[in-house]
Amino acid sequence: MDDRSFVAAQDFLLSSKTFWTKQIYEDLKRTYEDAVARSGKTPTTPADVAAILEGDTLYRYFAWLERHLQRLKYAGRYGLVPYHDERRSVLAPPLRDTGAELSPTLEMPSYYRRVDIHQHPGGVMSDELDGYVYERGARSTTPLMGASHADLHHRFTDLVAAQDAERVLYGRILDMGCGFGKSTQPFHEAYPDARIDAIDLSGPCLALAAHQAPSRSSPKVRFRQMNACATDYEPDSFDLVTSTMLVHELPPGEIEKLFAEAARILAPGGRMVHLDFHAIDGPFARFMHYGHGLRNNEPFMQPWAEMDIHASLSDKGFTNIKVIPFQEAEGVDLENHAAWRFPWTVIQAELKTGG
Amino acid sequence: MRISDSLILDRPEQNFFADPALDRAFGVVMALATEVYVQRDRVRALERKLEAAGIIDRADMDREPSEDERQANAEDREAFVEGLMINLLGKQQAKGAS
Repeated sequence: MDDRSFVAAQDFLLSSKTFWTKQIYEDLKRTYEDAVARSGKTPTTPADVAAILEGDTLYRYFAWLERHLQRLKYAGRYGLVPYHDERRSVLAPPLRDTGAELSPTLEMPSYYRRVDIHQHPGGVMSDELDGYVYERGARSTTPLMGASHADLHHRFTDLVAAQDAERVLYGRILDMGCGFGKSTQPFHEAYPDARIDAIDLSGPCLALAAHQAPSRSSPKVRFRQMNACATDYEPDSFDLVTSTMLVHELPPGEIEKLFAEAARILAPGGRMVHLDFHAIDGPFARFMHYGHGLRNNEPFMQPWAEMDIHASLSDKGFTNIKVIPFQEAEGVDLENHAAWRFPWTVIQAELKTGG
Repeated sequence: MRISDSLILDRPEQNFFADPALDRAFGVVMALATEVYVQRDRVRALERKLEAAGIIDRADMDREPSEDERQANAEDREAFVEGLMINLLGKQQAKGAS
């Protein structure tokens, strides 16, 4: 396929997703609110919302489009996978010697192999071009954010750094589930003197991260293939452990291991901060979010959203635990947003000094 | 360019409509809509190139066509519409067994 046709098709799909995000979602929400008003009953659970919406024609199209626009984006005739596959001879060779520390024998967890997350055929780890496919796909995950999607990571890093005005607390940083490095670079810019290890299960993503990131020229930043739930680091190895959009990809048992591993390798008083999806306001938003997880091949969004974070982190020796809604872009009204959005949330905690 | 066999999986289908036929038919609609947009994009690109080369005047192309031009297209237009709409009539075009 030629580049122009690919871009035109992907632009068309993104415009369709934008229409879905605004007009269809907003109409659907009005349909729901009208039905609630007519019934005189206030839904309290996602099941209550499902009983109202699941037979509605507009909801059926909403759900269909959520699943299939993503399918067409990845695997359609003009999809990300065939587009990159046709360019393999050019794209692949530079990824084979990037300086990323890969472990070809690392066993991929069964949950990671069983489901192709984001409807990315084969997942993000089975083909050497998966990093490219994921990176291109991530540019249009949130239609309303457009080009500001990359800013999200800087906003998150700014939030973390704001609590450390002198930039002295974090000399050793671990970026868990770094993917193609989109979260690592802002931390390197905010803490240029810090030693940053960025880890991920996906070799193809790490290779792209090391290939593309300006930070690859810095000996301070390493990209390493590793399971964040079972790292090879010694205790007291890091002052800050962070992740962006990692936790919701894990089944509950793995999340417990992830938090326990963070506690094991953090210095006493060290900080753990995750940007993810968790603070969901009301049964309608919860129903939509759970549906998104199912339709987008992210089966652990629901158990993660229902997890008692405070209890889990307290058990592992964390204190000052905070779960805070996160404003992903300037101007987003967290209380009254009309269009569809992810429930962005910052989860942060400190390891007890005696813990 | 064919859709690779590796992109076809034997996994359960997610259905959103009462009849799965509608799920699949709407998939055809969206695939066709994508093709239409790709062609539209290419025609616009072609027009820009032709205008830059001094071969066409896009403002002239955008003007309402003359009656002669409309008539010249009429036969093709009627055949296009017939081919599309005849499907709604449920008419058979070959003798069946019953």
